[in-house]
Amino acid sequence: MSLTVFVGRRLAAGAVLLAVLSALIFAATAVLPGDAVSAVAGVDASEAQRAEVRAELGLDRPAAERYAIWVAGAVRGDLGRGFVGDRPVTEVLATRLPNSLLLAGLTLAVTAPLAVLLGLWTGMRGGAADRLVSTTAQVLAAVPEFVMAALLVAVLAVWLEILPRVSVIPLGGTPLDVPHALVLPVLTLSAVGLSVATRLLRVSVADAAASPYAEAARLNGVRGVRLAVRHVLPNAAGPAVQALTLTTGALVGSAVVAENVFDYPGIGRELQLAVAARDIPMVQGIATALAGVMLLVLLAGDVCARLLGAREGHGR
Amino acid sequence: MSRQIDRRAFLRRGAAGAAALAAGSGLLAACSTDEPGPDRKPGPGSSSRSGGTLRAAFVGGGASETLDFFNGPSALDLVRARAWHGTLGNLDPSGPDGVRYGVLEGIDVSDDLSAYTLHVRPGVRFTDGSELTAADILHSLSVLAAGSKLPVYRLAAANFDLAHAKADGDLKVVLPTLRPIADGRMILCQGNFLVVKDGTVDFQKGMPSCGPFRLTEFTPGQGSAFERYDDHYGHVPRLDGLELRSIADSTARAGALTSGEIDFAHDLSPVTARTLDDNGAVELVPTRSPYLVGLSFQMNMGVKPFDDPRVREAFKLAVDREAMVKTVFYGSAQVGNDLPAIGFPDYAEGLPQRAHDPERARALLKQAGADGTEVTLTTGPETPGMVETATLFVEDLKKAGVRASLRELPAGQLYADFSAYAALPLAGAYQMPVPALSTYQMSTAGGSPSAFGWKESATDTLVARARAESDPAEAKKLGTRAQRTRWEEGNQVLPVFKPNLNAKAKGVRGIRDDLFEQFPGFSQASLA
Repeated sequence: MSLTVFVGRRLAAGAVLLAVLSALIFAATAVLPGDAVSAVAGVDASEAQRAEVRAELGLDRPAAERYAIWVAGAVRGDLGRGFVGDRPVTEVLATRLPNSLLLAGLTLAVTAPLAVLLGLWTGMRGGAADRLVSTTAQVLAAVPEFVMAALLVAVLAVWLEILPRVSVIPLGGTPLDVPHALVLPVLTLSAVGLSVATRLLRVSVADAAASPYAEAARLNGVRGVRLAVRHVLPNAAGPAVQALTLTTGALVGSAVVAENVFDYPGIGRELQLAVAARDIPMVQGIATALAGVMLLVLLAGDVCARLLGAREGHGR
Repeated sequence: MSRQIDRRAFLRRGAAGAAALAAGSGLLAACSTDEPGPDRKPGPGSSSRSGGTLRAAFVGGGASETLDFFNGPSALDLVRARAWHGTLGNLDPSGPDGVRYGVLEGIDVSDDLSAYTLHVRPGVRFTDGSELTAADILHSLSVLAAGSKLPVYRLAAANFDLAHAKADGDLKVVLPTLRPIADGRMILCQGNFLVVKDGTVDFQKGMPSCGPFRLTEFTPGQGSAFERYDDHYGHVPRLDGLELRSIADSTARAGALTSGEIDFAHDLSPVTARTLDDNGAVELVPTRSPYLVGLSFQMNMGVKPFDDPRVREAFKLAVDREAMVKTVFYGSAQVGNDLPAIGFPDYAEGLPQRAHDPERARALLKQAGADGTEVTLTTGPETPGMVETATLFVEDLKKAGVRASLRELPAGQLYADFSAYAALPLAGAYQMPVPALSTYQMSTAGGSPSAFGWKESATDTLVARARAESDPAEAKKLGTRAQRTRWEEGNQVLPVFKPNLNAKAKGVRGIRDDLFEQFPGFSQASLA
């Protein structure tokens, strides 16, 4: 099966999956207790006012009908308007999703090379260095994000004063306008992903290094970096690639802690706000978009794994 | 795609540059026409520098916020609107009618309390040069405020017959009341009622406005930028510009303040505020009465044991108010007396302060056969301090012999399912600072769902009579009688009023001079 066919099939399957997921998300919003009326009309609204607002928001119609209307709009690219503030959902996505993708992408850019380096080093060397790195990684993986964020802020922003405490982005600008403001959020998010990927990679590198294939290469005089990069890494990278893909995909929507602590304008907090206000169109739009992103990232991960596999086949 | 973004970024920069140029020319104009305002007192020692851009941070509504403040519920929405638009007036205890008028010269009340005449201040100009007239006020009140779903704006429609409001010439608006009320000035001039131009439907950057500042930049969820409006009625602000930022997390707001990225941080949590105590560069400026938020517990009279007035009294006696003020708010809060709206003119301050008396509470519960009764208090982190006070209340109740427990919902959950909320036996709540009697009529009278089973037509009548009384002394008497019934038999435990714990950089002055400090305006602020 050529790569194009593979990608095409996966995209088609992804589209079907996305449709199913959107229905599931809608069902989840429908069973959430309560509605957006308190968020829109205030807690003190009378019964009559509540009924009026409910009708205005279309919440008096059956859920299946509301879903049908939403789908009809969604296939034309119209995700509706939020209940709170009446802003088009696509506008919110357009301003916030790129910021989250940037954060996740930068985190991947930091974690991937470091994980490869540390994984290869510890997996092939073993010994004291291995124990040190592995223990550190274990500790890092166990530290909750908000503690990591607080530690980094205390050291880098408050004590050494080399980085800003919060990501104050110029109005109308993007996070790229103030690159130094990205450092703390990226470091915080990298810590966990790095430790998980390093530990995974270390195990598979150790396995691959002990395999007869690597042994044969070693007997043929292949040593050091060449052995690690040409012969061990391609065989060992599979699980780590999958793990990194999963964490990166999840990061796009669930970096809420980092977004809050550093006031980074990502999509995760928007989703959190929308859920709290029972803003169904917003929840539906953001959650479906995030599901789409996750499916695409997973696909990218699978393509990477396939390419690695192809190279491995070629190498033999 | 990326090219498109580059182009947009470029266009934005271009726009920002143009805005900067415009701000620059505004600055020049301001220097040449620098009028000696009546309230310009130079700071002690150094003369307070005219100009500069003040940066302030608030909790906003995220990326879904718009400029339509009639549909924007967050603190930032109102603060942004206050900077941008003219106001009918603000509450001012030292003012002649208890208010300080904005785009109005005054409000006359007819002898039978059936109509209010709003006199427009002549010569107020919008940024497009046109003069503010009665039509603009009428549009803002009877179209925009009347169509709003937010409780603050519904107050107008709940008291005035907005459908029959009319302009009398260019400078007079006549508002008929729905029933006779004497406290209408206090309702119209609470600071919430802002004026936009007649016919405004869409709220956009560049629309005409007559507030102290004009909007130059707005990014939903991030913030907005303003420059001084040099033709502002009354006085021209001292600041050259204003930047209102959205920073949702309390600690992040405090961090931005201490690291100098902002000059003013709104509504910090008690713990965060405490960490700023020994910071020499910043200063805490908590809001003062009446701008205090009441934290309360509602007892559902439709549910046992709260149908018994002795149980309700016991719960009120059991709570240790001083302990809440000390441990939750480190002293910067005020003890409540089980009635909302402390500090407003119609608040019954003549009633004795309820004591902390666990012994009497225990005895009352025994009398009512409710000792050892099981009660769950449901609350959530809707405003700082809410869960902490509830935790203390549960401990107090245990000491009085109630088997109390706490159920804490995640943020945003408490009010989301309102019918479930109104059916809770014991629920946490908070009261925004609004006048006592008009609010009672709107949200408690007539067995409203948020009254938790309180239905006393005698009290409702008394409140209506108090509001319809033009003799202030008599009105006070009637109002106090109504509130005494609530105090004695009511189903609300209100132990604490907490301020908004705002903080500012040391050099910032004049924020309180703008009144309505709960949602600060910056028209009289200056940077040292």
